[in-house]
Amino acid sequence: MINILIIEDDENIAKMITAALSMVDYKGTCRYDGRSGAEEAMKGGYDLILLDIMLPEMNGFEVMEAIKGCGTPVIFLTAMQEVSDKVKGLRLGAEDYIVKPFEALELLARIDVVLRRSNKTQDTITYGDITVNIDRHEITLKGQHVQLTPKEFDVIVYFLQHQNIAVSREQLLSSVWGFEFGGESRTVDIHVQQVRRKLGLKDCLITIPKLGYRLESRDSL
Amino acid sequence: MKLWQKIFLSSLFLIIAAVNIISVTILNNSHRLLLEREQTHAISEHEFFEASFSNAVVYAKLADEKIALTPNDIRRIASDVVEGSGRTRDSAVFDSEGTLIAVNGMDDVLSRITQSGFIEKIDSSGDNYSASVYETGGAHKLAVGSAITTEGMSYRVVTAVDISEIYAMKKKQTDFVRKVSVISAGAISLVLLVTVLLMLNPLSRLNVYTKAIAGGNYRIRIRERGSLEFRELAQNMNIMAEAVQTNAARLEKIAEDRQTFIANLSHEMKTPLTSILGFADILRIKRQVSDSERAEYAGVIVEETKRLRSLSGKLMGIVAMNGTEMEKKPVSLQAMINETKTALVPLLAKNDVQLECLSQDITISADEELFKSLLYNIIENAVKASPKGESVVLNAAMYQGDAVITITDHGIGMTPEVMKKAFEPFFMADKSRSRKAGGAGLGLALCQKIASLHSAKIEIDSHPNEGTTVFITIPREECL
Repeated sequence: MINILIIEDDENIAKMITAALSMVDYKGTCRYDGRSGAEEAMKGGYDLILLDIMLPEMNGFEVMEAIKGCGTPVIFLTAMQEVSDKVKGLRLGAEDYIVKPFEALELLARIDVVLRRSNKTQDTITYGDITVNIDRHEITLKGQHVQLTPKEFDVIVYFLQHQNIAVSREQLLSSVWGFEFGGESRTVDIHVQQVRRKLGLKDCLITIPKLGYRLESRDSL
Repeated sequence: MKLWQKIFLSSLFLIIAAVNIISVTILNNSHRLLLEREQTHAISEHEFFEASFSNAVVYAKLADEKIALTPNDIRRIASDVVEGSGRTRDSAVFDSEGTLIAVNGMDDVLSRITQSGFIEKIDSSGDNYSASVYETGGAHKLAVGSAITTEGMSYRVVTAVDISEIYAMKKKQTDFVRKVSVISAGAISLVLLVTVLLMLNPLSRLNVYTKAIAGGNYRIRIRERGSLEFRELAQNMNIMAEAVQTNAARLEKIAEDRQTFIANLSHEMKTPLTSILGFADILRIKRQVSDSERAEYAGVIVEETKRLRSLSGKLMGIVAMNGTEMEKKPVSLQAMINETKTALVPLLAKNDVQLECLSQDITISADEELFKSLLYNIIENAVKASPKGESVVLNAAMYQGDAVITITDHGIGMTPEVMKKAFEPFFMADKSRSRKAGGAGLGLALCQKIASLHSAKIEIDSHPNEGTTVFITIPREECL
C-alpha cells in the first residue's frame, strides 16, 4: 500500500488530502508543522511527501533542505503564485508542485505521475479477467492478448488506477492526451467506446450523465 | 553656448571695448589740444606777417611820398614782404578778385587752398581769422587766412605752417595703444577665463550631484561651500534630496506593506478555498460516501466558508473605511458600551466569561457604528483570550483631560514579540486556535484604522499567562 506523508499546518486541508488519497487506497499520515514533519520524513517508510510551504517552526524550503538525504520524492503545495517560489522548490529537488486551491483528482494525477517516475506504482493491475502490465504495455483478457492503440491503453490504465471515481472528459483529456491537447470530448467518447467493446466492460465502465465515466470496482459489483 | 562661455565672451568684449574707447578718446583729446596750440601759434605768426605787410605799405607811402598807391605798387610790396619772410614761412597774397599777386613756398598746398574755396570763405571785415589743415604728399599744413584793407582795396593774406609732426605723433601713439590693447586683451582673457571657470566650478559639482540623485542615489549630500548663492543652492538641494529620500522610503514601505498584505490575503483566501474545493470535489466524484464522511466533509466546507465570510466582512470593513466619509456626531460613551455589551451576550455565554463595565458619563465626537465595532473587536479578543469563568473589565474615565477606556482580561496574555506584531494585518498569535474561533487576523488592524480616524490611540500592556490590558485614549479635542 502506498504511504504518503502530508506536512500541512491547516488541519482541514490535511484532512481533505487524506480523504482524497483514501479514494485510491493510499494511506495518508499528517504532520502539522515543519519540524515534526521533517522528523517523521527522516524515519522513512514513505513513498511520497506532500509538503506545504508556509509552515510554523520550519518553512517548506527548510524542510526540503533537511530531508534531502532520505530520497523520498516531494511534491510541494503552495498558495503563492510567484514563479520564483516554484523555481526555488523545484531547484531544491522537489518532483512537482501543485498550487492551492486544487481539485482532488488533479492532486491524485500529480501523485500518480511522481509515483510512476519513482517506480512506486504496481507494474501489473488485475481487474476481473483483465490483466494489465504497464511496463510492458500489455493487456490480456482471459489470458488472450488484446490489441489496443496507445491512447486506448492509457485510457484503460487511468480508469483502473481511479476505480470508483467519476472521471470527467476534461480530466481524461488532460491526463491522457496532455494539457496542451486541444481535442474535443468526442475524442474521449470514441476511445472509451473502443475500450468498452474490446475488453467487454459494458456494465462496469459506466457513463454518468453530465459528469463523465466511472469504472466500478470489481468487489462492488 | 555654455554659461561660462557666455560670461567669458561678454566680459572680455566689454573690457576690450571700454579700454579702446578710453584710449581713443584720450588720444584724440591730446591731439586736439596740440592742434589748438599750433593754431594759436600760427595765428600769432600770421598777425606778425599781416603787420609786416601793413608796415611795408606805410613805409612805401612815406618813402615815395605818395598819397595813394596803385595796385601795382601793392603787388610789388606784397612780393617783397612774401619773399622777405624767407623760407621759414609759407605765405601768399591774393587781391579782391582772388588772383594770386605774391607767393612764397606753399607748393602743393596752394592749389588745394584755391580749389577748396578757402579764399572765398575768409571774413572780409578783417576781424576774424580762418584756419584749416591741408594734407599734401604725407605732410600736414595748417593754413591761416585773413583779409586786409589798404588803399581802398581788400586783399587776402594766407600763411601756412607745417604741423606734420603732430600727426606723426598721433600715429605713433595709436600704434602703441593698439599693441598694448592686443597684449592686454590676451592677458585679461586668460585671467578672466580662470576666474569664470573657478567661480562656476560649484555649478558643475551641483550638476554631477543632481545627476546622481536623478539616477536614484538619494543618500548622497553635497558639500555646502563656495559663494553665497551656491551655498544656498547646495543647501536647498540637500533639503530636496532629504525630502525625496524620505518620500521614496515612505513609498517603498507602503508598497512593501501592500505587497505583504496582498500575499497574506491571497494565502488566507486560498487556505479555506483549498479545503472547500477539495472536499466538494470528493463529494462530487466519489461513488459511495458514508453518512459520517458526508457529515465530516460538509462540516469542513461550512466551517471554511464561514471563515471566508468573516474574512471578506473584515476586509470590506477596512476597504469601506478608506472610501466613505465618517459620520461624526456627539455620542454617549456609556450608551455605546451598553449596546456593545448586548451584542456580545451570545459570545460571553458561549465562552462563560463575565463582562463588567464601569463608565463615567462621557460624550465624545465619533462615528457610532465604527466606534462600537472597535469596542466589539477589542472586547471579543479579551473574551476569547480569557479562560472559562473569568471576567473582563471595561473602565471608561477621564484622565488628564483625555477620555481613556481600558479593557482588562486575565487570559493568556502576549509575549513582547507578539505585542509588536499584534496590529499587523493577518497576524495571528496562535493560527490554529484563532482559525477555529473564526478569526482572520484582521481585528486589531481594523481597530487601529478606526482609532486613527478618531485621532485616538490604542496601546497594549500584556504579560504571558497574566493577562492583557488595552488602553484606548481619545484626545480632549474629540471629547465634548
